[in-house]
Amino acid sequence: MFRPFVMIAMAAWLAIAALPATADAQSFGRAVRIVVPYAPGGSSDILARLIAPKLQEAIGQAVVVENKPGGSGNIGADAVAKAPKDGHTLLLLDVGTLALAPSLFPDLTFDPQKDLAPVGMIMFAPYVLAVSPQVPAKSIAELVAFAKANPGKLAVANSGIGGMNHVTPIRVAKALGIEWKNVPYRGGAAATRAVVAGESQVIFNGVSATLPFVKNGQLVGLAVSGPARLPAVPDVPTFDEAKLPAGDAGTWQGLMVTAGSPPELVARLDAELRKILAMPDIAGKIADLGGTVKADGPAAFKSWFADNVRTLGEVVRENGIKGE
Amino acid sequence: MDLFGNLALGLATAVQPVNLLYCLIGVVIGTAIGVLPGIGPIPTVALLLPFTFGLDPTSAFILLAGIFYGAQYGGSTTAILVNVPGETSSVVTCLDGHEMAQQGRAGPALAIAAISSFYAGTIATLVICLLSVPLSALALKFTAVEYFSLLVLGLLAAVVLAHGSVMKALAMVLLGLLLGLIGIDVSSGAARMTFGIAELGDGIDFVPVAMGLFGLAEIMANLERPPVRQVVSQKVRDLVPSVADLKAAFPAMTRGTLIGSILGVLPGGGAALPPFTAYAIEKKVSKNKAMFGHGAIEGVAAPEAANNAGAQTSFIPLLTLGIPANALMALMIGALMMHGIQPGPQIMSEQPQLVWGVIASMWVGNLMLLIINLPLVGIWVSMLKIPYRLLFPAIALLCCIGTYGIANSVFNIWLMLGCALVGYLFIKVGAEPAPLLLGLVLGPQLEENFRRAMLLSDGDVAVFVQRPISAGLLAVAALLILVLMSPTVFRKRKEALAE
Repeated sequence: MFRPFVMIAMAAWLAIAALPATADAQSFGRAVRIVVPYAPGGSSDILARLIAPKLQEAIGQAVVVENKPGGSGNIGADAVAKAPKDGHTLLLLDVGTLALAPSLFPDLTFDPQKDLAPVGMIMFAPYVLAVSPQVPAKSIAELVAFAKANPGKLAVANSGIGGMNHVTPIRVAKALGIEWKNVPYRGGAAATRAVVAGESQVIFNGVSATLPFVKNGQLVGLAVSGPARLPAVPDVPTFDEAKLPAGDAGTWQGLMVTAGSPPELVARLDAELRKILAMPDIAGKIADLGGTVKADGPAAFKSWFADNVRTLGEVVRENGIKGE
Repeated sequence: MDLFGNLALGLATAVQPVNLLYCLIGVVIGTAIGVLPGIGPIPTVALLLPFTFGLDPTSAFILLAGIFYGAQYGGSTTAILVNVPGETSSVVTCLDGHEMAQQGRAGPALAIAAISSFYAGTIATLVICLLSVPLSALALKFTAVEYFSLLVLGLLAAVVLAHGSVMKALAMVLLGLLLGLIGIDVSSGAARMTFGIAELGDGIDFVPVAMGLFGLAEIMANLERPPVRQVVSQKVRDLVPSVADLKAAFPAMTRGTLIGSILGVLPGGGAALPPFTAYAIEKKVSKNKAMFGHGAIEGVAAPEAANNAGAQTSFIPLLTLGIPANALMALMIGALMMHGIQPGPQIMSEQPQLVWGVIASMWVGNLMLLIINLPLVGIWVSMLKIPYRLLFPAIALLCCIGTYGIANSVFNIWLMLGCALVGYLFIKVGAEPAPLLLGLVLGPQLEENFRRAMLLSDGDVAVFVQRPISAGLLAVAALLILVLMSPTVFRKRKEALAE
């Protein structure tokens, strides 16, 4: 009679003592910053501004989005890598481009794998491979035939040196045994405009930016990356079906934090991020951005990132691509 | 699509009380950030985006658009009063607007700026209604080749802009072009003249350079002058422009509106091209050329009209093609997507209420801006009565905040302070900073488009004269060089005859 009571009492005491302790370790002492290393208006920025108010509600502290553009996102990433290791400075960015950075920029001022720690993946948005209607090709096979018959005629518009859509066309051209010019533009919108205007002929770009032109007939969609065909254009095959490499090419958006931050806080952020990504309104907005929710936690993110640093590094070395 | 049906739908949407309210909020915020130097519409719109989630997309877009063109109105105020360009687009307004203020004519300058903006806004609204489709087709005709030729013309305009020595203006343009080379080269990815400083990777930002060279340098130069200042008259007669002023300004406004409407449509032109070009052309066609740079009212009217018209027509590529013409329009696309609207070429047919509502709201907003700004002229002018010891530190502080806000970087503040020192030197040697700024803005685009054109044509320079639009632009540029040189030629001949 006596002992169980003591045990229950002790358990209760322990539970009470433990509760605030865990709550303390998992609670945020001050405002949290989400650094977006690009100018406002892009996918990363939109995601950060969608997530910030929800996270603010969940953790009871102000969550501020801070745009720190420049250097292909490396300036903002560097700032988070060097922030205090207290879990209050987050980084939301295109992690595919970040995975390219170590092999493209030998002088990178931080190590994305050592100085930054993953919180969770957020979204994957596939690429559409589209061509100008001036190119007489309705399929990858016809594109290859045209490229081989007219060497030097095709130009691929990319959104800037050192981005995923600069490296992907190079991989694809190599696999198809064709040659095309890689023409860099200042951003995806300028690249899209160039292909719609017929200045360049081929583009690999995000679904939301490209599909309206495909539906309108101003661009012809030849393939989409990602695991499955897109419901909006069911006739366009996937990269895998069209025997193209880089089937997982696209935009991967993820949330990171300064490495060495308290594991309790990272676990809390992971849990809150999963809850937020499960909200129907957030999933709906992510679908509007042309993507799908990827609520992978830190472990899956970490191995994805390591794999990509390795494979993209090989592509960069094999093709002699230089970031600067 | 019939025009009147669309306009009626647009107006009916724009005058709904809730939309009127958001339009008013937008233009008031826009005016405020325009007046504050360096705090531009882009960070403001980004900051306000989350607050628009709860709104109907049309109301949200009306609000955000109001901020953008409202800022064009406000930007001229600080340019005229204290020679600090509040926005990129109001750099040119400094040239004659501030000169007018120093002559005690700040009131007419501000009023003309507001009237020109309203006039241009009205015409530009009509242009959007009537000419969206052909103008967007024109925008698609502009490839790297045409851009290069347009930019050559724009840079020549920079030389015309200067009212002092042509040699000094040329030197300043070249210096601007060199500064524009700093940063990671878009075509090759090579880092040029960055000295390992990461912040220089994306090149030198325009705003800290403009504010340093104009505003802060001006303050430094003022500090060493004796503290006598123009007594600002508060009589209403001196606040409103005279009939002669209006007569002189009207043709300039019309030309400015035309230039702004066309250049605004072209993606990538940026906010700087329309007012610079309008000013340069005005200076060439005006009857009293000598007045330019010394308080010519046309020198305020033309660029103000051009920047407002350009701000509005820059919506055309967004609304008809779904392609943003500048960074702010890219942000607007983001805003649309957050509201679940897919921007793209089909937006006009799928969202007629949104598109035409926003277009009509621009005219309504411009009317509001005129009503807000004209009575404010008196208040702004009395701001000049604030003693320098209070006014100057306040301006310096606002410049620092605004510059920091561009990329949340302290580097830009140091850059601005460095430019202030250089700007002081320029004032001492009598070199004008405006051509330098144009070189800085247009240089990177000139190079980028030239290299892209060369890459696409396999290095064949003949493409520039083979394409009709490009050849036409280059012909105008050649003509301009001849006109530029002719006075010197004539003068030399006269001198020769005198001997």
